[in-house]
Amino acid sequence: MRARVLAKADLLALVDCLCQDYEVIAPFAGRGRDSFFEPVTDQNRSAIRLHLPNPSYPPKRYVFPHIERMLRIHLDDLPHIEPLYDAPKRALFGIRSCDTAGIDHLDRFYLGRDYRDVYYAQLREHLFLVNVVCTDPDLDIDDDCFCMCADTGPAARDHFDLQLMDLGEELLAVAGTPAGEAYFSQPLFKKATPAHVNRRREILAEIRKRFKLATSWYAGTSRLITLKKVSNEIWEQIGNRCLECGGCSYLCPTCTCFTVTERPAGPGDYERVRIWDACALGGFTRMAGGFNPRRAAHDRRNRRFFHKLAHYFIQRDLSVTCVGCGRCIGVCHGAIGMPAVVEILRQASVGSEIHATTGA
Amino acid sequence: MQPPAPDNVYLPKIAILDRTEDEIADVRTFYWHFDDPAVQTVFKRFRPGQFAQVSVFGVGEFPASLPPSPTEPNLFLTVRKVGSVTAALHQLKLGARFGVRGPYGNGFPMQNYFGQNLVIVAGGIGLIPLRSCIVYALHNHERFRKILLFYGARTPGDLMYLNELPAWQEAPNFECYLTVDRPDQAWSHHVGVAGSLFKKPGVTVPVENTMAFVCGPPIMFRFVIRDLKAMGFEDRNIISTLERYMKCGVGKCGHCCIGLAYVCTDGPVFTYEQIKRLGEDI
Repeated sequence: MRARVLAKADLLALVDCLCQDYEVIAPFAGRGRDSFFEPVTDQNRSAIRLHLPNPSYPPKRYVFPHIERMLRIHLDDLPHIEPLYDAPKRALFGIRSCDTAGIDHLDRFYLGRDYRDVYYAQLREHLFLVNVVCTDPDLDIDDDCFCMCADTGPAARDHFDLQLMDLGEELLAVAGTPAGEAYFSQPLFKKATPAHVNRRREILAEIRKRFKLATSWYAGTSRLITLKKVSNEIWEQIGNRCLECGGCSYLCPTCTCFTVTERPAGPGDYERVRIWDACALGGFTRMAGGFNPRRAAHDRRNRRFFHKLAHYFIQRDLSVTCVGCGRCIGVCHGAIGMPAVVEILRQASVGSEIHATTGA
Repeated sequence: MQPPAPDNVYLPKIAILDRTEDEIADVRTFYWHFDDPAVQTVFKRFRPGQFAQVSVFGVGEFPASLPPSPTEPNLFLTVRKVGSVTAALHQLKLGARFGVRGPYGNGFPMQNYFGQNLVIVAGGIGLIPLRSCIVYALHNHERFRKILLFYGARTPGDLMYLNELPAWQEAPNFECYLTVDRPDQAWSHHVGVAGSLFKKPGVTVPVENTMAFVCGPPIMFRFVIRDLKAMGFEDRNIISTLERYMKCGVGKCGHCCIGLAYVCTDGPVFTYEQIKRLGEDI
């Protein structure tokens, strides 16, 4: 393991190192359990914390901005267009393991398949990820976290440049890429000993016991959906609880859909922008003239679960498209976050199996 | 030195409007060429059944079927005025610059059907995407057995591309049958839904070694499929092209998903066998 240790007191010294090469983004605590990612400045630098609740507004926006400018259109004498690229060198400090897995999914989605998304590619290429392992049972994790069910945490195995883990007095640093390993030449990093690695193992064993939500039953749910064993009544029951706010998609580290629109940008100029979109919203599939092929409300409300859990998409995306961050649980007013849906489907299948064995 | 411009699939290419031709009410054909001849050369390699993303600058972008066959010299679009961007396209003056990117999608695998009969069933503006494979098939007519076109619309005024029929009928193995729901006094052809043409006296629809192309409004589609199946067509020998409001055309925006498929990259051409397995109604 390419690992080093550094004194906890040197955390800000590491941030300063990163600031020399990157615009550094870090999570900051707000009121209550609120938190948010912000650029690090001289003023807020001292407020950087290792342990705090993971921000609801996901860090995916640093590779897939909420609103992203794609083109500028000049409508003067001879209309012409120019692509807009804005991909600063950024380091995302304190990204959690679930969100790291989310960015790995976005990489496969936007960079793979038939076409490569150049806007995503440029932002991603310039992004340095410093993953912080969730080790504080009160601050880092809460009742909604289920990364263990999604096999993404609490300690990411890859897809980071550097990983930091709190061992008490010291931080264990693991390099995931040559760019991350390059920082080990800084004098603040010391050699790690087998004792450090043992301590890491003990802490992880302990923190794993603190995750309360253990209901996720993806393999079974995926089989039910893929084999079309989920009745329309169950889909309707789930769909009827959806208020069509789109919050789950906006906060989801793996949701990728966007819409495209044009807006004025000065005299004679327009910008083409893309904006996060959500399949639960009524107008998502509406076509010009008003025809909406996804008519039934529960069809569009359940689209997200179908996409994330159907076996075909798991093959295509190479994983269940859920990283267990728990944001959808917190945002959903209808109590149909991902674990609740998985549980509804599981219970329904138990019912139907009993039904089948009694021969009714 | 400037770094080389990245390959950006979202970047429309500048097209220049050469002329327009009115087809039916609210439907117009737009002939264009690309500003950059190199772009024109690459674009011209499109296949029947593919589509393009068309931009009217400052208004927006929409997906449109490509009605020309790659065997024809000109590039054109046939577009119904139905929303804000298509209405803006209808407003463009000759010589105006607009944007086109593509071609996208799988298209009809026409070479796979060499040696077969083609039964092409179109309803209303459903003829726009099928025009490409009709003209392609007629250009290569000696490679196919019979090529039958069944074309229906609401009224005689809703039938498109009629001025091209005489040229199409020069192919010895081409037959064309027209029908309308509501005839006018001058109408001398059949009256009824598209499927009723199959049973018309004198019409023989081949089933063996035959591919059926169907495109039209959902209700017409449903009934034509029923009629084809009743005649003995298998699901895998019925092929159609689906439409959705794609925002990207390249499998990223998610707007065109039907069940398991991205219409833009997995389609827009699907066999009926595939359509039934999508897991969501079309």
